Amino acid sequence: MNDRIPWLRPITALSVTTMFFVPLYLVLTNVFKPGDQISAAPASLPRPPTLDNIVAVLTRPDRLFWVSLTNSVIVTTVSVLVLVVLSAMLGHYVARTRSRWARALTLVLLAGLMIPPQVILIPITDVLRAGHLMATVQGLILFNVGYYLPFGMFVFAGFIRTIPVELEEAATIDGAGRGQVFWRVVFPLLRPASASVMIFLGVWIWNDFIDPLIILGPGRGTTVTTGVYRAIGQYQSDFGSVFALMFLATLPVLAFYLALQRHFVKGLTGGATKG
Amino acid sequence: MPLPTATPSGTAAVRGTAAHEPGPRRIRRRRGPARAGLAHFAGFGAPGVLVYACFVLAPIAVSFAYSLTNANPFNPPTRYVGVHNYWMLLRDEQFLTALRVTTILTLIVVIVPNVLGLLVALLLDRSGKFYNAMRSVFFTPMILSSVVVSVVWTRLLDTDGPLNQALRALGVHHPPDWLSDPDYALYSVASIISWQMLGFCVVVYLAGLQGVPVELQEAAAIDGAGAFHRFRAVTWPLLAPALTINTVVLLISAFKTYDYIKVITNGGPGAGTTATIAFNVLQTGFDANHVGYASAMAIAMLVIVCVTTAVALRILRGREIDL
Repeated sequence: MNDRIPWLRPITALSVTTMFFVPLYLVLTNVFKPGDQISAAPASLPRPPTLDNIVAVLTRPDRLFWVSLTNSVIVTTVSVLVLVVLSAMLGHYVARTRSRWARALTLVLLAGLMIPPQVILIPITDVLRAGHLMATVQGLILFNVGYYLPFGMFVFAGFIRTIPVELEEAATIDGAGRGQVFWRVVFPLLRPASASVMIFLGVWIWNDFIDPLIILGPGRGTTVTTGVYRAIGQYQSDFGSVFALMFLATLPVLAFYLALQRHFVKGLTGGATKG
Repeated sequence: MPLPTATPSGTAAVRGTAAHEPGPRRIRRRRGPARAGLAHFAGFGAPGVLVYACFVLAPIAVSFAYSLTNANPFNPPTRYVGVHNYWMLLRDEQFLTALRVTTILTLIVVIVPNVLGLLVALLLDRSGKFYNAMRSVFFTPMILSSVVVSVVWTRLLDTDGPLNQALRALGVHHPPDWLSDPDYALYSVASIISWQMLGFCVVVYLAGLQGVPVELQEAAAIDGAGAFHRFRAVTWPLLAPALTINTVVLLISAFKTYDYIKVITNGGPGAGTTATIAFNVLQTGFDANHVGYASAMAIAMLVIVCVTTAVALRILRGREIDL
């Protein structure tokens, strides 16, 4: 369909997008501005741009950024990898089993998609303390795996249903065991689903705020997201550092997103609309 | 079981797959050795289910158990008090305010990104580098942490922040204190959340628009339908699945709003003008140590979320048609 007034759409699109972009611009420009200019003229362009804020954050004596970054990378990578494996296997079980029990299990997992973290956060501290996992990275990873498992399971189960079961039957006839069939035949075909699960869970877990704040506790445990939160408390006047920290905290996830952007949109719509 | 209320939505979502199975075939499948099914579960299902049971189901059960007591780690002994906590909730001014705040917030966050997202998707539903770049701008907030978004917007909406500087330049003498005026704060926070969620709706609606056959549009145009008519009769009904996803996702995430409140307003200004139930649960449980009462609040919240989502799913799924 063609537009009746050809210039109207691009002009409207450009102005709407510009308005939407303002907060993002605010971050970008203030990262490269000296602190006093940030409060005086927050919206101005950085003239001349400076890397002082970024350098200051990277070379802080308490190494807040590097400690947080390490924690975030470990928590996100391990959680996502374990989640992909466990939820793909669980998805396979749910998609290929027709017993009443499997259907009941699906419902219980489906309910998991709706559970607000606040409902389980108070007792989870008891559960983790009982297992000596409170205030540890392992504890946070286990919590992530349990909490995000339903999402992974549903994406994988939906995808596995579109793969003909005959493929698996053929491999079984050729003498492959169940594990071999899954890892050699099914799992490689799940790549698009794995990509979208990895992107979504990666972004969510990286940006997660309340769960690491409570599970890792106020001690040594800080992720980049809780690090930003602590920085606003500590350095209320030093907005240069806060903006630089936010920028650096977002860079890895931005790079990850740009690298997998194609799958992102496809995964979102493929898995989601077929429900 | 902890979640009886979740069943309706579950049936609605799984119905699609269950309906395809003809009776006899199912029986034949189930005749297959029961032990094989068990082995499949033990090898494939059990590890995930075990973690889920330990870190999600068990805590919910514990939470429910707490909600029937006066648990408070700094004020033992813990006694069984029955449904007393739930009765208290109904008369607790603070909880009722939180319920009202959560409802208003949820309504705004479900409606505004849905409507604006549809408009933006319609606007950007064209190919080419130009539109791709525009789309990327709308997608970016999706990957930002809610903490980052909150900090940026706090600066933007500050009394002397860029927005009010711009308003003064335009001749508004006393622009509002967006975040510290009790009359505005809740709406400001809701707008901030809407800004971040907009990108998600745009992606989903754009994908939905891709699924609208051009032939149908053209046929309608030949029949003399104008742009608005074409949208109402052809495009909008076919976007029903997209509307379902957006509404359900927004509903669930709006209900558990915590991060933004914690960072932007900390529940204020004034007495809980922006304190959601999710915010109060953690304040009551961790800061005030009323674990029993906070658990009752959490369980009440869980029931509200499940019932609302189930109802919304049922209504929205009913509108969907298959091409």
